[in-house]
Amino acid sequence: MKISISWLAKYLEIKENTKELEELLTFSGIEVEAVQNIPALPETVFSAQVISAEPVPKTDHLKLCLVDIGNYPYPEKTPEGYLQVICGAPNCKTGMMAVIALPGSTLADITIKKAKIKGIESNGMLCSEKELGISDNHSGIIELEPDTPIGRSVNELYELPDTVFELEITPNRPDLLGYIGIARDLSAKLGRPLKLPEIDIPVAKCRAETMPLELINKVPELCPRYIARLFDKVKVKESPLWLKSALIKSGLRPINNLVDITNYVMLEYGHPLHCFDYEKLASLPDKPGIPAIVIRQAYKDEPITTLDGKNYILEGEEMVIADGIKPSAIAGIMGGNISAISENTKRIVLESAAFDPRSIRRTSYKLKISSDSSYRFERHLSECSAPDASLRASQFICELADAELCEVVYDNYPVPEKSLILGVRPSRYAKVIGYELEEEKIKDYLQRLGLKFLRYGIWKPGKITNISEIRELDSETLKQKNTALQNQEKAHYYLIPPKRVDLEREIDIIEEIARLDGYDKAPVKTKPQHIMDRHSYRIKKVAVDYLVSRGFYETLNYSFSEPELMRKLGYQESDYELDMIFLKNPQSSNQSAMRTSLIPQLLQNLAYNLNRDEKNIKLFELGKTYHRQETISYEPYYLAAILTGLNKDEHWQDKASPINVFWVKGIVEELLSLLHLENWTVQEAKKPYLSQSESAAYYLDNKELAYYGKLTAPVAENFDIDLIELKQDIWIVQFSMENLIVATHNLEIQYQEIPRLPSVIRDISFLISEEIPYSKIVKTIAEVDDKMITDIIAFDEYRGKQIPNGKRSLTLRLKIRDKEKTLTDERVDYLVDSVIKKLENTWKITMR
Amino acid sequence: MEEELKELVKQAESDILVCASYNDLLNIKAKYLGKKSVLNSLYAKMRDLPSEERPAFGNLINATRKNIEDLLEKQNKAIKEDAWKKSENRTAIDLTMPGIFSSRGGLHPLTIIRREIDEVFLGLGFEIAEGPDIDDDFHNFDALNTPPDHPSRNLADTFYLEGGGLLRTHTSTVQVRVMEKYPPPIKIISPGCCYRNDKPDPSHSPVFHQVEALVVDKDISLSDMKDMLSQFASIMFGKNVSSRIRPHFFPFTEPSAEMDISCVVCGGTGCRVCKYSGWIEMGGAGMVDPNVFDILGIDSEIYTGYAFGLGIERIAMLKYNIPDLRILYENDLRMLRQFKGELR
Ligand SMILES: [Zn+2]
Repeated sequence: MKISISWLAKYLEIKENTKELEELLTFSGIEVEAVQNIPALPETVFSAQVISAEPVPKTDHLKLCLVDIGNYPYPEKTPEGYLQVICGAPNCKTGMMAVIALPGSTLADITIKKAKIKGIESNGMLCSEKELGISDNHSGIIELEPDTPIGRSVNELYELPDTVFELEITPNRPDLLGYIGIARDLSAKLGRPLKLPEIDIPVAKCRAETMPLELINKVPELCPRYIARLFDKVKVKESPLWLKSALIKSGLRPINNLVDITNYVMLEYGHPLHCFDYEKLASLPDKPGIPAIVIRQAYKDEPITTLDGKNYILEGEEMVIADGIKPSAIAGIMGGNISAISENTKRIVLESAAFDPRSIRRTSYKLKISSDSSYRFERHLSECSAPDASLRASQFICELADAELCEVVYDNYPVPEKSLILGVRPSRYAKVIGYELEEEKIKDYLQRLGLKFLRYGIWKPGKITNISEIRELDSETLKQKNTALQNQEKAHYYLIPPKRVDLEREIDIIEEIARLDGYDKAPVKTKPQHIMDRHSYRIKKVAVDYLVSRGFYETLNYSFSEPELMRKLGYQESDYELDMIFLKNPQSSNQSAMRTSLIPQLLQNLAYNLNRDEKNIKLFELGKTYHRQETISYEPYYLAAILTGLNKDEHWQDKASPINVFWVKGIVEELLSLLHLENWTVQEAKKPYLSQSESAAYYLDNKELAYYGKLTAPVAENFDIDLIELKQDIWIVQFSMENLIVATHNLEIQYQEIPRLPSVIRDISFLISEEIPYSKIVKTIAEVDDKMITDIIAFDEYRGKQIPNGKRSLTLRLKIRDKEKTLTDERVDYLVDSVIKKLENTWKITMR
Repeated sequence: MEEELKELVKQAESDILVCASYNDLLNIKAKYLGKKSVLNSLYAKMRDLPSEERPAFGNLINATRKNIEDLLEKQNKAIKEDAWKKSENRTAIDLTMPGIFSSRGGLHPLTIIRREIDEVFLGLGFEIAEGPDIDDDFHNFDALNTPPDHPSRNLADTFYLEGGGLLRTHTSTVQVRVMEKYPPPIKIISPGCCYRNDKPDPSHSPVFHQVEALVVDKDISLSDMKDMLSQFASIMFGKNVSSRIRPHFFPFTEPSAEMDISCVVCGGTGCRVCKYSGWIEMGGAGMVDPNVFDILGIDSEIYTGYAFGLGIERIAMLKYNIPDLRILYENDLRMLRQFKGELR
């Protein structure tokens, strides 16, 4: 629902600025979905009269207008004192009152300039609502009322500046579907008085017998209340600007005074109304000459054409407002076209009714008609809001349509709605919401919402039909030292206003109090704690799970072992003894020191399993090592792995092969890539137990992230493994978890737009000297165009027959893509040629 | 005319039936239904007919056209089916030959159990806290209300280190460290390695793993602890497993308790695992001793708390029916492989 602040301010003093008001609404449960600011317009935009409007020759729609801007000083008036303006609007005509924007005026989107159109000078612009920024209507220029004085500022005419809020009203609050409802809620929240419109109904001049009506309600269960008022001598015409302006800002199109009045009152009270042309209502066969209104369900296959010209065949379940013969309206949803208000309408029936929300919803859904009226009725409007809406509209109809009200009011209300009595326990409020609220405050909030305080008494669960059921506790009774009474739960009892159909139980009232006092008042009991290092927990898990996925089994070893193992690993005693921590009371010498590396025990685990006829072994351990640092100890986590044999299980078709250096290197680089780590550098591993030529370490910011390498034969020997007898290599991989955790700490994974255009794949094969490493080749290619060449894949490497000594043949697959446009063969060819040329020049390759 | 058209359909049918590919069919389609076909030329002829004969003639041509189209579609289906059948039978497949596995490895059973415990407690709103294995007397004993002459401080039970420090005998050290650093409320578990100078045997190991839970807040009672224990027992071991506590002594809790769960093997009727008692001992528990709070500067009048500890090895042995704790530290692949898939 759209509400304008200037209109809302009619019912409640508003001291808040837009931002504060938005906040206020949102935190009382009325969400502001959009805010539209309608700025004030310059003083050079004002009302003016079109003195003449003549078609411009040789154009199909332009008119040359002379516009009277009154005394407003403007240097280039015609000799007669008018302004010459070209206008293209279809509704521009001689005599009309319009809105002129003089040259130099800045409107919503444009600044008006003096211009020459078709060679004719135009000094300013006659404006549409859209051009002024007050609505989207651009069908023609604004037509002001004929009696509007010349020179009246648009800001005054349209109450500018203004702000329009688009509100989301939750389905439980039909009472908020009008300005007054919103104002009432805000008034309760702010404790500011609500200013209800003073309805001043003129004396009924029209005699009952001159306008007889037969009103029959056949379905009181679907239409619990139907109020009809009749008017004679109605003048259907355009509405005054204040009314049109109000509707426009709330997103409704002005049509004529009667329709506009019903819409205005609907927006004001939240209760939809409908007007019928009295003279178009047929009589019942047995009551000739008396127009009839029959509220009933449709007959099967009964047709109706609605206001918007659409035809419907009703099935029989729909509720209709019929005349003596045929449906005049689909009840609560849309009027029919026969009884609709027309220019010639003289006498009308004003309907203000209440309908069963379920019936409205079913019919609206079945016929696929959704209107402002059905939107409200299907949310359950109270029967008690019908009279006010009818009265308010009657006042306007007499005032604005010069009508005469008929003295008879029809109010079909067979079973008057009973007001509900509800009790609310302050103690219950504290229990549910979490804090105690002063009883006076509770009372105050509820009374502001329109609940009537009945009494203070002992809590009685269940339905209360009469307040006399409740034992009243007055101050005298309370003073008595009656412990039995003291221990009983006490409650406030209120009469619920019928408009608040959502208030049915104690808990609904508790919600209202909490909402008005502010949810922010409920205390937060437990502050969130951040004791856990979730990041390190996650990184360790990712790393471990990755190794498992690659075929590794996890081992767990004691945290202490034999110092001697470090010597066996190839270290000098002086290298490791410095930071090694020894036990004072070890159980045995092979458990005498805290481990400083995970590798020796993994080697022991490997030897153990090799001795048990296992050939293909992949083991890892995630664990701490322990180091003496000054007076304290340092316990970093490492993830170490050892592997030998085949890279996977043997299979008859998908052949396994012995683990080689690239398989091991892949383990390191894949985990680094899973952790989104890039830009690392590779250095020598320099571990005494690893082969110099087949090992490498990965660094980032001078911190070792990981290394891999092949175990040397002497170290293997130290751990009782004979590599010659084993006939397979043993490989070691280790990740420094602490460094990985630090390196990934600020990692943020951000979604990248998926490329819309396809990529092109090109392979290039060439001979290149053995001395040139692949990494350098890739770098050279990337230098050509690292934006278009998105991937470089090493597709094949070949040495042997037909390849000269000292050379190898490489096939690289290039993925080429342009984000902006589809690639043409020419561009791809050109790019690939550039790559080849650059490789030829830099590395002396020969294409194959 | 009718006869001629019937003949045309017959001729088309014989042509269509010998088609073996989609391309052949397209050629035949052009021949009989294309622009230059006999049938198409008949449409032109129709214009010369008197208007009353036109509808009948038109219907006849259309029916013929439909006939031929149906034949084409039928043959097209037959060709496709044939091709699919041929591809199916191209090579003999022995579906009993082994499929390709990814050669995945597996976690150590103790890790599987620890992860499950982590998950259960994370789900119950706990955080996980870690601390050093190497700690000092204060965090391992003093702060936990264990006076210097307490028997558990005996050198025989605790590993002491050259140059100072000791190996923590429980992860309660982490609780102390957390309480030193963070004000309540605290709701943590601290899993980790612990050390006690026990000779390895079927149920002892100098190195073992523990998870301890600590909850400190206003209004925490023994009843909350029982609540948590019963939730943990039923989530971890099954909804029919119940828990109980019995009085015991720990220096850092008051009241202290031992906690038992109903035997997961026999369900409480008595068996070898529960030594015919129907209950299995799970670990120690109790309300944090006010002295501990006082030492750590937490107001014991405002805050109360509970703590309990569980042995991970013990739970693993119970869940997987492992008879000897030492098996868990041998790292024999034949043992490790049994727990692939990380199921519990
Ligand atoms: Zn048992």
